[in-house]
Amino acid sequence: MIYWEKELEVLSRKELEKIQVERLRKTLSQAAHSPYYGELFRKLHITPEKIDRVEQIRELPFTTKQDLRDHYPYGFLTLPKRDIIRLHSSSGTTGNPTVIFHNRHDISSWANLMARSLFCAGVRDTDVFQNIVGYGLFTGGLGFQYGIERLGALSIPAGAGNSQRQIKLMRDYGTTVIHAIPSYLGRLYEVFQAEGLDPQRDTELRLLVIGAEPHTEEQRRRIEEMFGVKAFNSFGLSEMNGPGVAFECEYQSGLHIWEDAYMVEIVDPQTLHPVADGEYGELVMTTLDREGMPLVRYRTRDITRILPGDCPCGRTHRRIDRITGRSDDMFIIKGCNVYPMQIEGVLLKIPEVGADYLITLDTLNGSDEMIVEVEVKRDWFNGDVARLDKLTRQITNQIRDEVLTKPIVRLVEPGSIPKSEGKAVRVRDLRAALKAGNYSA
Amino acid sequence: MAYQVSIFLENKIGRLERVTSVLKENRINIQNMSLIHTANGWGILNLLVSCPERACAKLCEAGMSASLRKIVALEMQDVPGGLDGLLTKIASAGVNFTNAYGRVVEPGQKAFFFIDADQIEDINEKLQAVGLTPVNDDLIYGV
Ligand SMILES: [Zn+2]
Repeated sequence: MIYWEKELEVLSRKELEKIQVERLRKTLSQAAHSPYYGELFRKLHITPEKIDRVEQIRELPFTTKQDLRDHYPYGFLTLPKRDIIRLHSSSGTTGNPTVIFHNRHDISSWANLMARSLFCAGVRDTDVFQNIVGYGLFTGGLGFQYGIERLGALSIPAGAGNSQRQIKLMRDYGTTVIHAIPSYLGRLYEVFQAEGLDPQRDTELRLLVIGAEPHTEEQRRRIEEMFGVKAFNSFGLSEMNGPGVAFECEYQSGLHIWEDAYMVEIVDPQTLHPVADGEYGELVMTTLDREGMPLVRYRTRDITRILPGDCPCGRTHRRIDRITGRSDDMFIIKGCNVYPMQIEGVLLKIPEVGADYLITLDTLNGSDEMIVEVEVKRDWFNGDVARLDKLTRQITNQIRDEVLTKPIVRLVEPGSIPKSEGKAVRVRDLRAALKAGNYSA
Repeated sequence: MAYQVSIFLENKIGRLERVTSVLKENRINIQNMSLIHTANGWGILNLLVSCPERACAKLCEAGMSASLRKIVALEMQDVPGGLDGLLTKIASAGVNFTNAYGRVVEPGQKAFFFIDADQIEDINEKLQAVGLTPVNDDLIYGV
């Protein structure tokens, strides 16, 4: 058996949509009990009973992170505190944190989704599962913990850090599955090596789960080579519980997003209109099985796309692509929506250039242009002009194929682009329209 | 075989000075230089120096992209028509080059013509077949 809940995982789309409509109605009725949605629904004359098609979700208002912050802490709560049994909250480096409340049903439903996700990736009750992420307010710790327990595997709530201790736990108890953030697995592997150990020879590891951090396919493949086992992508966000929202199956081609628990939309971040399957846009989600704090059309700001077509595993829940960036990072050039991660993805596949890049949007001779600066690798350079010209053309064409507008590619000296730690600004906008614009908007 | 040092340079103020200051610090003498600019915002500086291997290593240490490239030097007369005569012979040898430059050794008497030979196979044999003898390395580096 490859399914945790076959009756829900292989439903026909029609049956699945029927469940979604029922649950959406219920969710809206429940949401109306919160101060925020209660007032909003009255103002907009939203009546849950009138919902009988999934498309009607588009008539509902969006909810943003700012809305959550503005009504912190209890504005979205639908139940008296007596019924709530847990909260998870984000750090909130700027302004109020965001907080999500769960009642007993919510925690149970989340644990089940998490168990379904792990089962989908191939975890079984015979596994020894070491959860190497932080516990506490961060959802990755307890979220996985409850899922592992629900599935029935032996859980080791190791928490983050202390690699030597992690390795000892792995070896003492015969850990077969690890969950960690991808960048940590690289460090863990180095400690294995420093100790004269090889995870492929000296552990019983058979599967990895990675998530909670943006990473590329190349990074995943590197991790798989180091540990000699498959690494499965996990996707979640604290506003939608945490982990257990979408997960890879054995085919590792996109993440099944659990549509009996979440209504999924992909919209153009500018127009907020739905985009076609296969096109990138912002992921918008509605909880369908949360009582304490339902969220309607929550703008996740994560950029992804629906992967068209059926998955050979037989699950009918659609698959999303890995997250390619934040909607805040998107810019428009010559009418095309461009996400910096798309450019990064192209550059990562070109071994002659480094991974660092800088995008400058500027008005040159009256026309808006996207200038992409990349560093030529020192050991590839041999002084040949024609070879550099050819490389410039190759990068230009590959970026154009990806973002549908032609960039101006500039090769620069190695070390001249500031090194960045993932979130640093890699886009500068110097366009005339912005220079002339006002700041009130 | 003689070598020149090729350096990748952005067309920005101060980039050339970075190169010359590294060479000055290391007391490396420049015999000849040529600069190729492209429309794409970068160029390549070709340097003929007293000790190319050391110069290349020092420039790389300083963080620049530098590379050694094979060159061939041919002697010619520093008189009107001197270069034309040489080029005719080079063409008859079947040697096709994309980068070359010259240097006067004795005004009115002797000049050297340098060809970037990095991508040209059997260049010495081809030139010798038409009676051209490449200049000795020591003479090129001017030691
Ligand atoms: Zn699948």
